[in-house]
Amino acid sequence: MSKKNIQWIKLSLSGRLPRRRFLQGASALGASAALSAGLPRVSWAASGSTLKVRTYADMKSLDPAFSQGVADELIQAPIYNKLIQYKPGRKWGWQLDAATMIEQSDPTHIKFALRDDIGFSDGFGPMTAEDVKFSFERIVDPELKSTNKPDWGPLDHVEVSGEREGVIVLKKPFQPLWSITLPYITGNIVSKKAVLKAGGRIGTKPVATSGPYRHKSWQAKQKTVLERNPNWKGTKPDFDEIRILPIDDENTAEIAFEAGELDFTRVSLGSLKRLKANPPAHSTVAEYPSLYYVWVGMNLDNPKLGNKKLRQAIQYAIDVPSILQAAYFGAAKPATGIIAPGLLGHRDKDPIPPKADFKHARRLLAESGEKNVKLTLDVLNKQTNVTAAQVIQATLKQIGIDLAINLHEAGEFWTLGEEKSGNRWKNIELILNRFSMTPDPYYATAWFTKAQVGIWNWERFRSDKFDSLVNQAMVESDPDKRAAMYRKAQDLMEASGAYRFITHEATPVIYRDRIKPALRPDGLALLRYFKKA
Amino acid sequence: MFGYTLRRLSLACLTAAVAVTVLFVIIHLVPGDPVSIMLGPRATPEMKAALTAQMGLDRPLPVQLLTFFANLLHGDLGIDVFSGRSVTDIVLEQVPYTLELILASILWSATLGIALGCYSAVRRNTLGDRITAVLSVGCIAAPSFVVALYSLLGFAVALRWFPAIGAGEPGDWGDQLNHLVLPSFAIGLSWVGYVARLARASMLEVLGEPHIRTARAFGLPERWITFRYALRIAILPTVTVIGVGVSFLLSAAVFTEIVFARPGLGKLVIDSITTRNYPIVMGAVLISTLVFVLATALSDIVNALLDPRVKSSVS
Repeated sequence: MSKKNIQWIKLSLSGRLPRRRFLQGASALGASAALSAGLPRVSWAASGSTLKVRTYADMKSLDPAFSQGVADELIQAPIYNKLIQYKPGRKWGWQLDAATMIEQSDPTHIKFALRDDIGFSDGFGPMTAEDVKFSFERIVDPELKSTNKPDWGPLDHVEVSGEREGVIVLKKPFQPLWSITLPYITGNIVSKKAVLKAGGRIGTKPVATSGPYRHKSWQAKQKTVLERNPNWKGTKPDFDEIRILPIDDENTAEIAFEAGELDFTRVSLGSLKRLKANPPAHSTVAEYPSLYYVWVGMNLDNPKLGNKKLRQAIQYAIDVPSILQAAYFGAAKPATGIIAPGLLGHRDKDPIPPKADFKHARRLLAESGEKNVKLTLDVLNKQTNVTAAQVIQATLKQIGIDLAINLHEAGEFWTLGEEKSGNRWKNIELILNRFSMTPDPYYATAWFTKAQVGIWNWERFRSDKFDSLVNQAMVESDPDKRAAMYRKAQDLMEASGAYRFITHEATPVIYRDRIKPALRPDGLALLRYFKKA
Repeated sequence: MFGYTLRRLSLACLTAAVAVTVLFVIIHLVPGDPVSIMLGPRATPEMKAALTAQMGLDRPLPVQLLTFFANLLHGDLGIDVFSGRSVTDIVLEQVPYTLELILASILWSATLGIALGCYSAVRRNTLGDRITAVLSVGCIAAPSFVVALYSLLGFAVALRWFPAIGAGEPGDWGDQLNHLVLPSFAIGLSWVGYVARLARASMLEVLGEPHIRTARAFGLPERWITFRYALRIAILPTVTVIGVGVSFLLSAAVFTEIVFARPGLGKLVIDSITTRNYPIVMGAVLISTLVFVLATALSDIVNALLDPRVKSSVS
């Protein structure tokens, strides 16, 4: 700020500045403030070697111990390595990454050997078995209080048998290790030296990375930029730079894609029909099943729903195809349970057909002896949920049940059934709920055990048999037996009358023809494997 | 004048303190346990208890509020649980984006609005005046979110004249201006109409004053009379309204930041309320409130400087 401006301000505050001079000074001050940001630089358009993708939320943490989901993993996966990674494609599987070898020598011991050409950035040296030991053990260390500790289940310790060899030792068998633990967030390997030097925890800046890309910059709520790692000895990634833009509104992301500012994004189900019929030039629309599961639950501890026949009447009266047509624009399929298609334990058929059977529902209602039934349905205030709730309201009316819809904002909804948050759980009658899961059935069923009553089991479903099946399936290594257990578990849920399964939704994506995306079977991006077409 | 300025600024700070206190009470009354929401579904009761203690949520509300103000006096708004970053840093890095959006919107809407208002007043009851009147009302009536979406579709998607999302490269002034065009257009458009009508009414009143007739009688050029004599008085109500309009624009900035995927205070507040991230909510609302009260204080001060009647009374 110039001397003249400072003088002007002093004069004006003293009240001795004539109005004419004030107006002149104000204009000059405004102009100098605008110019003081610096001369404009030429802004170079992103070259063809830059990949621009959308994520639904900004990154929260680059620490595998504290990352909360897809938004963080989207960035971590290209900059860290794991022993194994998900294999891109339409079928769930994994492939070697940092490991040259990994094998389960017995139900509780997994041997591994690392590649000898992976190093950490910033001079933190080659990746060793010590780094693997540190990365995995810290997550189950009670001192660290990692929220991702359950993903490592019964990890006991990691034995280091050589510079790059080790054995993962479990306290008991844990099948989700291969589908969740190792290929997802908790499988990311960090540098022991770097993390300890940083105080034991990683924030939003990585302390040392080892993947095919490295972290270049992060502007909060704007973008994360990854750049090709020049020291990466593996297959050279196709892109010089990846820009990950947090855009939480799907419609905005679609517009950004159509404006040429994104190369890959998920699109909304509402836009799918339009985009398939008339895709933007040089782009492809693809559909993938999602791992979400949507259902109507009933609070078994609410006296109004104590009558099993009433609950069963409600199950048969809810018309799933109508919900899918109205709320999901016909783009989603009916669910047969909580485990998505393609996963172990998925039920091929639902004993209760998706189409409502009003005759049967009325008969069940009559057998229940309940009259003038008035219930409430708690719903998250997103448009899809609201529409689904309205359809449920209309279909229940067909059998004479009056349903009032209670809309809740997200922060309120996600603690409705939690006992620690107060007594609101007592008022839950029907609830339209939606959970996400990782690609192991354990992650779907874990929330409906007795231990979860008052936490995430808002139906307050209590079944010793269910709990036993879930616990057994977690350690069962035979996939067919495991699948049978999970199918039976879902049968028990449905037989209680407390659940009506709606859908697993879908993950439609759109991408430029100049890229070849690498996606998990649920449509989530594996950026490190994206290629140019 | 200095005393008046000091009094106004002190009042502004007091207003901000009251607003933050009210918000503090409201946010704690809203259902939803922040710790459960923050930690997600796999947090153990021990983790939740530890975080509750760390955030001071187990203390009585008055104690929490006093602690907040005590820390605030040291410039400490707390630490964000997820990232470990200072809330002050998180909030302050978003403020410039919202401020530049508001300033850009006010600048273009006030400039155009005042120009249109002057034109209408000078060309009163002509075709130009009537067209301006219809356009002004049209601008006021058009919902900002509709304008935002259509301008996105038209100028960003169809014509590719402007970018659709983001705020531009930091440090690249030209790029940032480019990214400001559509969002500021969307939220400033209704203000064009509003300011135009206000400026027209003020100008008409002033143009009817005896001193203007005297100036004309002396044979001064009409342009001279309009801009040097009439506008300087007529602009005073507009300055006051613009100061108040900052609050409207702060609210409008929220949806603009969502539609255009821009960083900013509004989006930060929405995200933080949803996740019950109390420290960031408090910090962001404190800053927003300060921006608003300082803007109104500034408009009062500017008014006092521009209007000799006010200046002499406060002096």
